[in-house]
Amino acid sequence: MSNDTARSYKADQVLDRMGQKLNRQMVGSLLACVHCGMCTQSCHYVLANPGDPTYAPAYKGDLIRKLFKRHFDWTGRVLPWWVKAGSVWTDEELEELKDTVFGKCTNCRRCSLNCPMGVDLATFNRMARGLLVSVGIMPEGVAVVSKDQWEIGNQMGVLKEDYIDTLDWMAEELQDELDDPTVAIPIDQFDCDVVYSINPREVKYDPRSIADAAKIFHVAGEKWTMASEGWDMTNFGLFSGDDALGGSVAQRLYEKVIELRGKQLVISECGHGYRSTRCEGPNWAKYNVPFVMESSVFTMLRYIKEGRIKVDKSKNSRPVTYHDSCNMARSCGMYEEPRELLQLVCSDFREMYPNRTENYCCTGGGGAMSMSEYTPRRLKSGSIKADQLKETGAEIVVTSCHNCVDGLTDVIRHYELGMEVTQLVNLVANALVIEPKEPEDDEEGSGRVRASAEGHD
Amino acid sequence: MSEFLHFSEHTLQEVALGFMALVYTTRIVWFLAFKAGGERQASTGPARTTPAKGILYSWANVAMPWAMESTRRHYLIYAQFVAFHLGVTAAIGLSFVIPYAPGLLVSQALVVVLQIIIGAAFLVGVLRFIRRVSDPYMRAISSPDDYFSLVLLTVWFFFALLAVPNQTSGGEWHLLAYFILTAFFLVYVPFSKISHYLYYPFTRYYLGKTMGYRGIYPVRRV
Repeated sequence: MSNDTARSYKADQVLDRMGQKLNRQMVGSLLACVHCGMCTQSCHYVLANPGDPTYAPAYKGDLIRKLFKRHFDWTGRVLPWWVKAGSVWTDEELEELKDTVFGKCTNCRRCSLNCPMGVDLATFNRMARGLLVSVGIMPEGVAVVSKDQWEIGNQMGVLKEDYIDTLDWMAEELQDELDDPTVAIPIDQFDCDVVYSINPREVKYDPRSIADAAKIFHVAGEKWTMASEGWDMTNFGLFSGDDALGGSVAQRLYEKVIELRGKQLVISECGHGYRSTRCEGPNWAKYNVPFVMESSVFTMLRYIKEGRIKVDKSKNSRPVTYHDSCNMARSCGMYEEPRELLQLVCSDFREMYPNRTENYCCTGGGGAMSMSEYTPRRLKSGSIKADQLKETGAEIVVTSCHNCVDGLTDVIRHYELGMEVTQLVNLVANALVIEPKEPEDDEEGSGRVRASAEGHD
Repeated sequence: MSEFLHFSEHTLQEVALGFMALVYTTRIVWFLAFKAGGERQASTGPARTTPAKGILYSWANVAMPWAMESTRRHYLIYAQFVAFHLGVTAAIGLSFVIPYAPGLLVSQALVVVLQIIIGAAFLVGVLRFIRRVSDPYMRAISSPDDYFSLVLLTVWFFFALLAVPNQTSGGEWHLLAYFILTAFFLVYVPFSKISHYLYYPFTRYYLGKTMGYRGIYPVRRV
């Protein structure tokens, strides 16, 4: 790209790699902005920081657009100042760009859907993240998590033995709860109808959600399994813009399902995990996935519709509202199923406004929860979400995303809303109607079934 | 009619138009040389959403102010957008009517309608300029090209407004100004933001295709 000795090596590499990343969709988005300002008020950062134009989507987009114009579009080469084209020369300038693309945008895609020209800022903001990551410029949290996902195979660095122990523990809890020693969390079982993948956060901080899912699978009589490795459906490649990481993580998961000869991959409730695994992974990995993938929300809904599980909505009687994950609603079209399911398992559902594809980010999107240096900024932007939550009058916020659980929990705590956050799996498990067990032959039921299959530890 | 005005109405416009077509063709060829990204995964979202519906919805978005929160909440700005672009269409049309079908302007009704449309666009141009200068958000994102394009268009509307009756009894200066400005625009537009309409079908096509495939378009609002 450039032999200019005045430009730093990293800046040179960023510009070089930008050329390799550009596709027609991105170029269209980079060319088409007319600076009409219609996107401005769609961004929760703008709304929470009135008077500061540096949060405006078009402004943020221009920081990337100027590079494109200066180096790839001849109109910007001829008269750069006329169209605000510009270059990067120093590592400090790249750091400033990092502050914007990581710290002032959660890639929630709300502005993209509000742009009259169809400019998809979130897509090229992610590209810019990827370019910076490729030269080692990223928030520390992004570096740490990405490293874990590359090296250990899951984004929280959960070791295999800890993972298996947690599944064992949850299986035992379930056996006690259901007074049924046959309940198991199967691991590495072949030829199952469902291979269940989870977010490492569930292992580390929320194992109850694993037990709840297992309970539902058990009651539904599902032939299911979890994998001892390649079980993490989250993907930091989505946040870091690193397609190589994204493809690698997704392919690891796909290949595990194929190895186990699973018929279907069920993805636990996680917005970015679902989007990465279900929608982006095949593209990053250039991999044609030969099996069905679905969110556990669809699975639970299907079980109820097929009569495989029975639920009693009166068991969840406190007022609930639903927060749409940006990744699910604005990038995967999943917004009706969670509501349908909520109506079946809760007796007092209250809609949040705006909702579905117009919902506001929880503030934790785009990997923001891992970037602690931007926490004050993130919490300030949470005032928009806080107002939205308060308006509902609900006591419980339900979401189908682990990042959103954390983001919302922070917002609720910071703005003292006194609400709880939960996921659909917890509500469905709580609403389950479990038929009294038939008396059984105690010879068969006397031994406790361990979570893990023998020989896989 | 003076020779210079005749030249401005015909030869100058034709040369400028040819130049614009050439540059636009080059731009499109260059743009299409970038490979389009594809989707390997199975489609997502409700059955009522498809890529074809998404594309149509996306293209039609310009005429559906209720479809996006940004236009729904700022309906005055949307109304300005409509008035401005109707004015552009009328003023462009005028540059063909005067040289090639001047008889149409014998109709006083048509003259008045065109003047109302172009006059409204002129006023919107002024309002847009005030907004771009006074709103800190707009100032922060504006380039010299943004200001220049807007000022020039607004001035062009002004002369188009005067040119509509196609009368030379008071002199030719207003017609000359209108046609020279039109020719200038034809040459300048491909290099400026004004060429956004060239990309609109593409950006909207790809966004619509993706959003339709993924179950977002057409948007369902409750």
